[in-house]
Amino acid sequence: MSFSVIRPHVVSRTGLGMLGMRHISTSRAVAVQASRRVAAAEGISAQDTGGFKYVPGGPILPGTVNDATSFPPADKTHGSYHWAFERVLSAALIPLTVGAAVTTGSAYPILDGILGVSLVVHSHIGFDSAVVDYIHPRKYPVLGPIMSWILRIATGLSVWGVYEFNTNDIGTL
Amino acid sequence: MFASRTATSRLLASSSTKIASTSQLAQRAFSVSATQQHAAPAPVPPKQALKEFKIYRWNPDQPSEKPQLQSYKVNLAECGPMVLDALIKIKNDLDPTLTFRRSCREGICGSCAMNIDGVNTLACLSRIDRSETKPQKIYPLPHMYIVKDLVPDLTQFYKQYKSIEPFLKNDNVPEGREHLQSVAERKKLDGMYECILCACCSTSCPSYWWNQDEYLGPAALMAAYRWMADSRDSYGAERKEKMQNSLSLYRCHTIFNCSRTCPKGLNPAKAIAQIKLELATGA
Amino acid sequence: MLATVTSRNLFRVAGASPAFRSSAAPLFTQVQRRFIQTEHLTTKDNLVLLNEQRLRRPNSPHLTIYQPQLTWYLSGLNRITGSALSGLLYVSAMAYLLHPVFPVIDSAHVISAIHDLPVWLKTSGKFIISLPFFFHSFNGIRHLTWDMGKALSLKGVYSTGYAVLGATLVSSVAAAFFL
Repeated sequence: MSFSVIRPHVVSRTGLGMLGMRHISTSRAVAVQASRRVAAAEGISAQDTGGFKYVPGGPILPGTVNDATSFPPADKTHGSYHWAFERVLSAALIPLTVGAAVTTGSAYPILDGILGVSLVVHSHIGFDSAVVDYIHPRKYPVLGPIMSWILRIATGLSVWGVYEFNTNDIGTL
Repeated sequence: MFASRTATSRLLASSSTKIASTSQLAQRAFSVSATQQHAAPAPVPPKQALKEFKIYRWNPDQPSEKPQLQSYKVNLAECGPMVLDALIKIKNDLDPTLTFRRSCREGICGSCAMNIDGVNTLACLSRIDRSETKPQKIYPLPHMYIVKDLVPDLTQFYKQYKSIEPFLKNDNVPEGREHLQSVAERKKLDGMYECILCACCSTSCPSYWWNQDEYLGPAALMAAYRWMADSRDSYGAERKEKMQNSLSLYRCHTIFNCSRTCPKGLNPAKAIAQIKLELATGA
Repeated sequence: MLATVTSRNLFRVAGASPAFRSSAAPLFTQVQRRFIQTEHLTTKDNLVLLNEQRLRRPNSPHLTIYQPQLTWYLSGLNRITGSALSGLLYVSAMAYLLHPVFPVIDSAHVISAIHDLPVWLKTSGKFIISLPFFFHSFNGIRHLTWDMGKALSLKGVYSTGYAVLGATLVSSVAAAFFL
């Protein structure tokens, strides 16, 4: 990396005056270098809270306004794969529901089974989204994981229940 | 005589909503000499139009007192047409302790972002509701920590903006010339580069209300897409990779409060939807 | 150091030329020194002071004061209807697991129980259950349209929003009376 930097004293000597000064104050390279110097001199690291406890969503923020927030580790299973799976499943529910509505359960048990399980998985994703939105473990270290596990167990039991219903009873629709 | 005509026509122009006659007005104003104008100001009949404003107040010097709405009555006949005019008038004439941010008064600095009658907008672009029966309620931007009165702490908002690296990143800088871009490539940035970072959109978003420590919010995400979509930037893949988690981007549930409220008429929800689509399709 | 900063600000106000600045600056500096008393605060102390203030700051009102708009109301409805339907599905599915213990829990018993109800209760019951179902389904299609990159404008949001509400009402009435 190389930056072309016009030094302030050179500018004032060459008489570029105000124009030159403006160039310098808007140059990102100089700004970055300057902010690094300031941060180093201040001795406030990006994680420093001045001895106060950091609570996610609370008023105390780590570092100064010049420290960018950080990103959680990248993982596509929580990112685009999850999103795409959710959309494909939702879209698939449309023909499945219509198909199950116009037929009877006993006639197409496989179709019925797929619909039942898909509905439970779709519901699981929806509930999970609500858990992440409102009681994420980073904010609720006790309640968050408990609700996550209750949801997983309930989903497992529901899949079992749907299976039993489809094999022993009349089927989902 | 000339002077009185100018004064009355000015009054008319300020009280009516039409702006068509501005050029005529300007011509007339120029034709009148300055001495004449100062000599005989037309007597204006005092017209009372008292409008009630209810404004959120909280004073950090009395932190134990709960925030409350304070009522002010402003004579609209002596006040400019915008909510910011009323706020400035209140601060000048009624209560100098009222605290709010303002700078350009023409919708380009984004300082006076606040919640007016339930909608996040810029006070300088928001007309005063002329109805005298209904008070106009003014709150700070929603779900933000309040420094004083209508001033929210925007530190986190700025830190998030910084995190998306809002500047051109390119390892292959062309030698001796500027980055070239086709008209079509440049057109992709229209509707995004105009953002003034007033934070109206982010603080209108329920997802941002609940998860603003991790979710980037519409403003930062649209800024992120502005650089992903820029043909001159060569770090698009890295920029997208950062979004691959459940919180930074995917807390957006396409609610559309952001686009609904943007005082600049931009569409952050569309930009976010495009990020999601590009992440999923690998485009 | 603070004093020099102040004197520079004074010059900016006065619009002074560089020549004037160099000759008059020391004088202004001394004048300023008499009036300003500053207390030295390290950056760390400053951060502590700021954080003490931050802990007292109230959170501004949000849900209760934000204007009711089709955008976030429909989004909220989508989550509420989805949760209600999913909750019903989970409860029914898990209840059926108890069928071996309580043979009453099966479709035949439920159907016969509903069969004996008065017509007005059956119709309104069907309406109450089909309302969230049709809303969530139609709004789901609306969301899928957006996810494909279509109708991503305010006009699109409002026209599709009202279309979903209309279709939901018509379908639910039809389901309640003709199913």
